[in-house]
Amino acid sequence: MVTVERRTRRRLAAWMLIFAIVLSAFVVRLVDIQVVRAEQLAQESEARRSIPTTIYGARGDIVDARGVVLADSVFRYDITVSPRFVADFRRTDPDTGDRVTVTVAEAMASVAAIVEGDPIAMLTDIQAQLAENPQDDHAYLARGVTPEGFEQVRELGIPWVYWERIPARTYPNGQIAGNLVGFLGTDGPQTGLEYRLNDCLQATDGQATYERGADGVKLPGTTVVAQDAVDGGTLHLTIDADVQWFAQQAIAERATEIGAEWATAVVVRVSDGYLIAAADWPTVDPNNVNGTAPENLGSRVFTWPYEPGSTMKSATFAALFDSGAATLTDEIIAPRRYSTIAGFQIGDAVDTGDTRYTAAGVLMNSSNTGTAVLSERLSLQQRYDYLQAFGFGEPTDVGFLGEEPGSVPDPSSVDGHTAVTQMFGQGMSATSAQVASLYQTLANGGVRAPLTLVTGCERADGTVTNLPPSEPKRIVGESAARDVISTMELVVTQGYLTSQLTIPGYRVAAKTGTAEVYENGAYGRERIVTVAGTAPADNPQFVVVVTYGKPDTMRVSAAAAPTFRSIMTQVLKTFRVPPSTAPAPSIPLTW
Amino acid sequence: MSAVPLTPAPRPRRAAPSRPPLEAVATRTQRRARPRAAYAIATVAGVFAILLTQLLLSIVLSEGAYRITALEAQRIELDRTAQVLTERLNVFDSAQNVAANAESLGMVVSTVSPAFLLLSDGTVQGSPMPAGAGTGVLDGRGDLVGNVLLADVPLVIPAAAGGASAVPSGVPPTPLSSGSLPSGSSTALPSGALPSPVTR
Repeated sequence: MVTVERRTRRRLAAWMLIFAIVLSAFVVRLVDIQVVRAEQLAQESEARRSIPTTIYGARGDIVDARGVVLADSVFRYDITVSPRFVADFRRTDPDTGDRVTVTVAEAMASVAAIVEGDPIAMLTDIQAQLAENPQDDHAYLARGVTPEGFEQVRELGIPWVYWERIPARTYPNGQIAGNLVGFLGTDGPQTGLEYRLNDCLQATDGQATYERGADGVKLPGTTVVAQDAVDGGTLHLTIDADVQWFAQQAIAERATEIGAEWATAVVVRVSDGYLIAAADWPTVDPNNVNGTAPENLGSRVFTWPYEPGSTMKSATFAALFDSGAATLTDEIIAPRRYSTIAGFQIGDAVDTGDTRYTAAGVLMNSSNTGTAVLSERLSLQQRYDYLQAFGFGEPTDVGFLGEEPGSVPDPSSVDGHTAVTQMFGQGMSATSAQVASLYQTLANGGVRAPLTLVTGCERADGTVTNLPPSEPKRIVGESAARDVISTMELVVTQGYLTSQLTIPGYRVAAKTGTAEVYENGAYGRERIVTVAGTAPADNPQFVVVVTYGKPDTMRVSAAAAPTFRSIMTQVLKTFRVPPSTAPAPSIPLTW
Repeated sequence: MSAVPLTPAPRPRRAAPSRPPLEAVATRTQRRARPRAAYAIATVAGVFAILLTQLLLSIVLSEGAYRITALEAQRIELDRTAQVLTERLNVFDSAQNVAANAESLGMVVSTVSPAFLLLSDGTVQGSPMPAGAGTGVLDGRGDLVGNVLLADVPLVIPAAAGGASAVPSGVPPTPLSSGSLPSGSSTALPSGALPSPVTR
C-alpha cells in the first residue's frame, strides 16, 4: 500500500521536474536572445524604432567692423514629394466646410504658384521617376524655398508633400563687399573669405535619434541627442560696410562714365593697416552669382597686379631720402629725354624741355627723367631691396584667396632700361592692395603695419582665433616718409589737379599715376590711372587709393581725382577726423 | 518542528461521521500565527495604490511630454518667424536701401566739404559749404551697387506725395528733440553741456 507521504513526495517531484523543464526552456531562450542573437536583435529593434537625424549647425556670420552682417546663415526648405503616393485626395474646404476632392494637377498648380515653379515640369519629373521605379519615395518639387513659401505650402495640407529644412546663406548687403566675402555654391564655399576661412565659418553637424511608432508618428520625448551641433565662428572684418558701399558706388559711377574696364578703390587706416574698404568694379552680388561674369567674381584689389606707374615714385623718393642719396632740396636738371640703353629713351608726359627741378620738384611734377637722374644714386640692389621692403613682389599680410605677389625685377638679371623704369612703376607690377600698403607705410612715418582684413574668428565657445598679425615694421626713417608726404601735399595745393583734389579745411597729400599698359608685346594707348594719397597730411589718418583700368574717354589721372576726393571726404566724415590746423609747409620746387 | 504534535494518523477515510467531528482546538500560538485578513487587505491595497500612482504619474509625464513637444513645435515656428524678420531687417538695413530712401526723402550727402559742429563748445570745425544739386551720392543717378534682395522692396514715399508716412496725418511733423544725434550716445550729460559726438 502506498502511503500518503510517498504520494505527496512523488507529486512534488513531478511538479519539480515540470518546473525545471519550463525553467530551462526559459533559460535557453534567454541565453539565445540575450547572448547568441543579442546584437542582431538589438540592431533590428533600433532600426525599427529609432530614426537618426542630422542636427544642422549654423554656419558662422561674416560681419563688418561695426557688426553689420555681410553674410548670414538662414534656413531654407526643400519641398519634396513621395511619388508613389501622389494621387487625388479629399480635404475639407475651409470656407464652406464641404469635403472636396483635390486633383493632382490642382495640387501641383497651387504648390507651383507659391514656389514660382512650373507645375507641368513638376508632374513630368514625378512621372518619369515613377516610370523608373514604381516604389519611388523621394523627389524634389522645389529647392531652397523661403520660410514664408514653406509655410504656405504646408498650409495646403497635401498629404504626399513633405519638406526638409536645409541651411542656406544670404547676403543682405548684396554687392557690398561681395568681392571679399565670396559666396557658397551647392557644393559649399566657392571663393572669397567664405572659401579661404571655411575652417572658421564651417559648422559641425550633430546627430540625434528619435523613436517612431508603427504608424510613423514620432514618439514624444524620445529624441536622443548623440552629438550636439557646433555652430561656426563669426568672422569679424575690418571693413566698414557704409564706406565700402560709398567706394563701390563712387568707382562704379566714374568707371561707367569714363568707360573703364575695371576699377578698384582701397581705404586703409594709417595707424594699424586695417582695410576700411576694398572696393572692386565690376563685382559680384553673392545672392546672384550668375549675374556676374566669372572674371569679376573675385577681388582685383588683391589678385590683379598691374604696372602702377608714377604712384611708385613715392617709394623711390622715400628710398632716396632714407638712404641719404638725396634730400628734398637737391638741385638737378631733368633732361628732356633720358637715354637708358641703346635705342631706349625715357620722356615725360608733358614736354617741358630740360628743367631745373629740386628733388621735391621732380616728385611733385612727376618727372620721369628727373626720377631717372636721381635713381642713378641708388645701386640696383638698393632699388630692389627698398621695393621688396615696401612689400612689392610678395603677397600682403591679408593672404586673400588667389592673392598675387606682383613682380619686382631681379637685380642680377634686370636690363638697363627696366632698372630705371621700375623706379616710376613701369616694368614692375603691383596690386592695389600693395600700393595702398606703400602709402600706409609713408603716412605712418615709415612704419608698415601689416595690411589686415580679418580681425578674428569668434568661435562658438567664445575663443577668438585667426587674430591679425600685429608686428609693425620700420621700412624707412620718419623724416624720409615725412618729406615724401609733404611733397605730395604740393601735388594737391600747386598741381594741375588742385581743383579736383582739394578738400576744404583739410590738408591732403596725393600722388597721381598714369601708367602705360603692356599688351601684345608693346606699350599701347591703354592706360591705368591712379590717385593715391592720405589726409590729413599733418596727422595722416587714412589712405585712399583709386585706380581705373583702361578707361576709354579719359586716359589721365584726372579721371581718378574726383573719386579720390569724394571717397576721402566720406571717410573723413565717417570717422570724424578733425580738420587740419597748421598750414602746409612750403618747399622749393625749382631753382 | 512545531511543538504541537500533528493530527493523529491514520485518519479513517470517508468514514461517515457518526458523531460531530472532533476538532483540535488551536493553541494560542497557532491562532497568533494564522494570517490576518487586515494584512492581506493592506498589502493588496498598497499594491493597487502603487499601480494607480504609477499610472497617474505616467499619464502626467506623457502629458508633459506632449506639452514639451507642442512647445518645441511652437518654438520652431517662432524661431522661423524671428529668422524671417531678422532677414528682412538686415535687407532693409543695407546701405543701398538706406541711401536710396534717404535721398528719395530729400536728404543729400555733401561730398564736397566735411564740417563739424562741436556741441561741446559750439564751434564749427572745417569749412561748411551747402551741398548743391548733384552732390548726393545717388541723386537720381541710380544705385550702382546691386542687391537682388532689394528688388521687391519699395522706397518710402514722403508724406507730401500722399504715401505712407511715419507721421500721422493732421499732426504737424515736429522735429526730434534736440540732442538726438546720429551717434546715438544716450549717456547722461553733465548739466548745461551740449551732447558732443564721440570723435573716432
